[in-house]
Order: sequence, then structure tokens, then C-alpha cells
Amino acid sequence: MVKEKVILKNETGLHARPAGELAKKAASFKCSIKLNVNGKTVDAKSILGIMAAGIKYNTEIEIECDGEDEKEALAEIVKDFNNNFGE
Amino acid sequence: MLKGKGVSRGIGLGNVVVLKKVERKIEKKTIENEQVEHELERLHKALNEVINETEIQLKNISGTESDIMQAYLMILQDPSLISETENAIKNDKYNAEYAVEVGFNSVVQIFQNMDDEYMASRAGDILDIKNRVLGKMLNEKTIDLSNLKPNTIIVATELTTSETAKLDLKNISGIITEIGGENSHTSIMARTHAIPAITGIENATSIFKNNDNVAIDGTLGEIYVNPTEEEKQKLLTLQKQLEEEKLELEKYKNEETKTIDGTKVKLYANIGILKDVEVAIKNTAEGIGLFRSEFLYMDSDTMPTEKSQFEVYKNVAEMMQDKEVIIRTLDIGGDKELKYLKLEKEANPFLGFRAIRLSLDNLPLFKTQLRAILRASAFGKIEIMFPMISSIDELRQAKKVLEECKKELDDENIEYDKNIKVGIMIEIPSAALIADKLAKECDFFSIGTNDLIQYTVAVERGNERISKLYTKFHPSVIKLIKMAIDGAHSANIICGMCGEAAGDKLYIPLLIGLGLDEFSMNSNSLLNARKRINNLDKAECVKLSEEILQMSSAEEVEERLKEFKEN
Repeated sequence: MVKEKVILKNETGLHARPAGELAKKAASFKCSIKLNVNGKTVDAKSILGIMAAGIKYNTEIEIECDGEDEKEALAEIVKDFNNNFGE
Repeated sequence: MLKGKGVSRGIGLGNVVVLKKVERKIEKKTIENEQVEHELERLHKALNEVINETEIQLKNISGTESDIMQAYLMILQDPSLISETENAIKNDKYNAEYAVEVGFNSVVQIFQNMDDEYMASRAGDILDIKNRVLGKMLNEKTIDLSNLKPNTIIVATELTTSETAKLDLKNISGIITEIGGENSHTSIMARTHAIPAITGIENATSIFKNNDNVAIDGTLGEIYVNPTEEEKQKLLTLQKQLEEEKLELEKYKNEETKTIDGTKVKLYANIGILKDVEVAIKNTAEGIGLFRSEFLYMDSDTMPTEKSQFEVYKNVAEMMQDKEVIIRTLDIGGDKELKYLKLEKEANPFLGFRAIRLSLDNLPLFKTQLRAILRASAFGKIEIMFPMISSIDELRQAKKVLEECKKELDDENIEYDKNIKVGIMIEIPSAALIADKLAKECDFFSIGTNDLIQYTVAVERGNERISKLYTKFHPSVIKLIKMAIDGAHSANIICGMCGEAAGDKLYIPLLIGLGLDEFSMNSNSLLNARKRINNLDKAECVKLSEEILQMSSAEEVEERLKEFKEN
């Protein structure tokens, strides 16, 4: 299992579009991918789970990947967060 | 024959498509064990149909809208939502329709209870998806407005702005609505695109049936259902006549706009959506006098981003090729609904929290728009206009925010037009009365007659019972217009008009007489207006306006203007 912390820099939070990008990316990996945020754990492969977590600007998020392609998955998802999901 | 109010001229013959809101009842049923499989199949069939439809829609769109559709698709395939719904069938033994209610509503509730306003309003999106899935299950037929058969006559209670934006204009030969006045968005759109339209037909959506053969006369407001050969011929002759008139106007396409004595004025177009620009260019608009930016906000389910707005503004500026493009900042209030901006319903929305008042109170929204406009100004000749200014403080505050945005762009090394002009709408009597003061602090005025009349005579635009009192011929309205023009000229700035009155043949001589510099109107009126202006003599118009300024009643004014027209 690998983990890394990131801080959300999208001003409007993880709303529908970036949440969708994240879920799509997460679903393309075999490993399980979870987000630990505000004391909750959500499945990064579920767009509704991500959106329902209501993650706001400047929130710290721990990304946790567990499974065969975990390293690659973690690197890709951290990269997306750092690019603000293209916004 | 049915008679309504003609709001867009022209003859249209075709077949009816009725847009009717269906009322849906979801029954709660308990199913037997052996029905579980069948209900699960129904659920997945409906989900797949909506997914397929969304994928087809996705191919035809781009940008923000496509991103949102992508998100819709993912919601439709979301593992947690689907298992929740399946469980309602498998464990609770509900019928598929009710299971969808249960499954989706549990998610909707989570969103509704979130304290973040943006996220809370996403509940609406999920409800939207739920409704589409239920629509499929119940075999409700939905009409794809963007893909209609040729010669379609649309019949609706009223068209919403998002419906209007989707319309497959080339295949529509007429529009019939139950409600909506001359200045409703549907009417304005119909005139822009020269689609005959009639409003005020009570119960139209019940009277007409799909595929009814109908002929309409948008000039007289007459509708013929299953027209006889004779009636058809009569209308076709009229249509030919209208086309000839139009052809006659063609020669004005190559002329400058100036009176007989050589006084030049600017003839500009009002636009709302990108589609309108082509019509403006076709009708030789010399600029855009009013770009109603609120359509960008109304047609979106989420707050339009700086990037998405920038692209639209840039597009318009480039299409207009260095001709002036005046963009009016968001003009919206509690009478319109924006999913992502929770505006409270107000008792008097037209006297309430709207337009510049809303922008100044919501700086992130205002700045996003101003930055988008500024960035687009590097690609053409863009100008900014603030709506609903009632005092000098509002103008100063708005300009201060604009300066902040400029500074931000400077710091980020982003290009924009450093000399971008800033103007205001004169649409509130309090602004007209201090026009000379306001003129010293901005670069141009544009008179919004629709609101100016409403606020001057205290008559709500849409209120049928008092609509007779709503008149541009009221001497007070004319006095305020004069004050605005004189105020502008005292500070050597330009005064335009972007209300419907600017394109009115009767009114144009008066406006020329009062010294109006720029006339901005619906594109479809441009050539008629140029014809009118080019056949006027400035000195005669000045004399006319002086005479009118002495009058005391609207009837007198109207009569005198009609008489002048005949001369």
C-alpha cells in the first residue's frame, strides 16, 4: 500500500468536472484507491462518493492506493491534483 | 382561425410539434421474488438508454458543456448509486420505478444537506438524471429540440432560455406560445432569426396536436389550422410580398448609415448568443451595441468559468473584426433562476437585488467575468458596460473592481486592451437625472428604454392589465432620454440606445432629432432602420423633437410621430 498527501487547489472545490476526471482516472487502475479527507474515507472510483465528500479549496487529502499497479496510480493521481485537473 | 399577438413578422407553414410538460406519478409497488430479475432488467435497460443518448449528445458538443455531460455519464454508471438502486429491488422488493426514486433520492439528500452552496445545488443535476431514467422506464417521448424535421411549428407554454438555445433554427418555420410578451426572450430570438412567432394563445398546448398542419401570420397574429387551399394561397402571396420588401432592403446593405444632410450615426446589433453574431454580420451591423452576457450564465448548470467566458467573448470579438463589441456584465436578478446561484425570490425583483447590485455583492463572480472580458479585449475592440447603474457610487465601485482585475492581469503578464472603454446603461430615472455627472466618469452611455420606461411610469413590463400605461411615447420618458443624451454630449462622450425603441420606425426621427449617436437593435431590424435614417433630414428631426418636448400626453406624441412618418 502506498500513500501521499496533497492539497486541493481548485477554487471551486472538487465539483462535478474534476470529480469526474478523478473517478475516471481512478477507474482505469486495478488497485483500490481511497481518499482520506476530513476524517472520512471515500472511494476515488465513485464520482458521487467524491462529490458527496464536499472537498473544498485548500483541503488536505491523503490518497491511498492498494493493489498491483498502486505506485503508478498514485503518481498519476498526485499529478492530476497538482495540475488542478486542468482548471 | 385563431388570433393571438404577433411578435415576430412573417409567414410560416408547417407541422406542429407540441412541447408539453408531462406530469408523472411514480407508484410504489411490492414485487414478488420471481419479478426481481425482470425489474432489474428494466432498470438497466433504462440506464443504458440514457447512457447511449448522452454519448450521442457528447459527440456534438465541446468545452464546459461536454465536461458536464461526461460527469453525467459517470454518475449514471456510479457503482455506489447502482448498488443502492439494485438493493431496493432485490432486498426491499420495490418495482424498478420506485427503486430509482429510493436509490437516487438517497444521493440527492446527501447533496442537499451539504453546507456548500455549490454542492447543494448539484442535487438538481442528479434529479435531472433521475428524471431522464424514469422517463425512459415509463416510455415518455422526449423531443430533441436540436434535431427537428423541416418546417416545424413549435407550440409551447413558453420556451425557457435553455430550450431556446438548443433550437434547431433552420428547421423551424414558426413559434406559437401561450404566454410571453413582445420582449420575452423567445420573441426577441424569433425576431433576430426572422422566425414568425405568435404569443397569447391560451391553452395552445392542449388545442394543438403533434403533426397538425398549421399556417401562421406573425404580423397579424393569425393562425390557420388545416388551412384551405385559398387560405394557403393568400398567405403565400403575403410571404412573397414580405420577401420582396426584404429584397428591396438589400440595397441598404452597402450604404453608410447617415441622414440626407450627411449626419452619420452608428447602427449596431443586440446579441445574446453566439448564433446571433452571424445574423448581425449578415445584416451589416456596424458593431455590437449590446451583448447580453446573461445567456452564458442561464444556459449553464454551473458557474461559467473565466476560460469558458473568455472563449465566447474572444470569438465574438474576432468575428466582428475590430468593430466595437459592447459587452454588458451580468444582468440578472430574482426573477430568473440560476441553479448554482441561489437567488432569493423577492416580492419586487425588478426593484431588487439584481444586475450591478448583485455583481458588486459577489466579487468572485464579478471579477471572473471582468477578467474574461479583459483578456478577450486583446483580440478585438471590446468595451464594457455596467447595467442598472442608479448612482455614481456604483459606477465608481464597479470601476475600482475593474482596476483590480487589470492589476491582476498585469501581475500575471496577461495581455488586454489597456484603453478599454467603460460605459453604463441609462435605464433608471435616477441615472438619467444625473447624466451630466455620470458622463464625466465613463466613456459612453447606452439608454435601455425597456427598463427606463418601466421605472419611469411605474409599470411592470409583463403586467397585462396595465400594459397600456407602458409607453415610450410618455413625455417624461422622452425628457429623460434627452437628459441622457445632453449629459453625454456635455462631457463629449457618445450616447447610444439599445432598447427596442431604437429600431422603431416611428421613434427614430425623434431620436435623430434629440441627437442620439448610436442605435443598437435586433439584427433583423437593422436594414429597415438604415432605410428610415437615410431618408431623414436632421434639421427637420430637430424641429420635430422640439415640438414634441412641448407636448403633455403620450397620445399627442404618438399621433405627431405617426403624422411625421407619413410625410
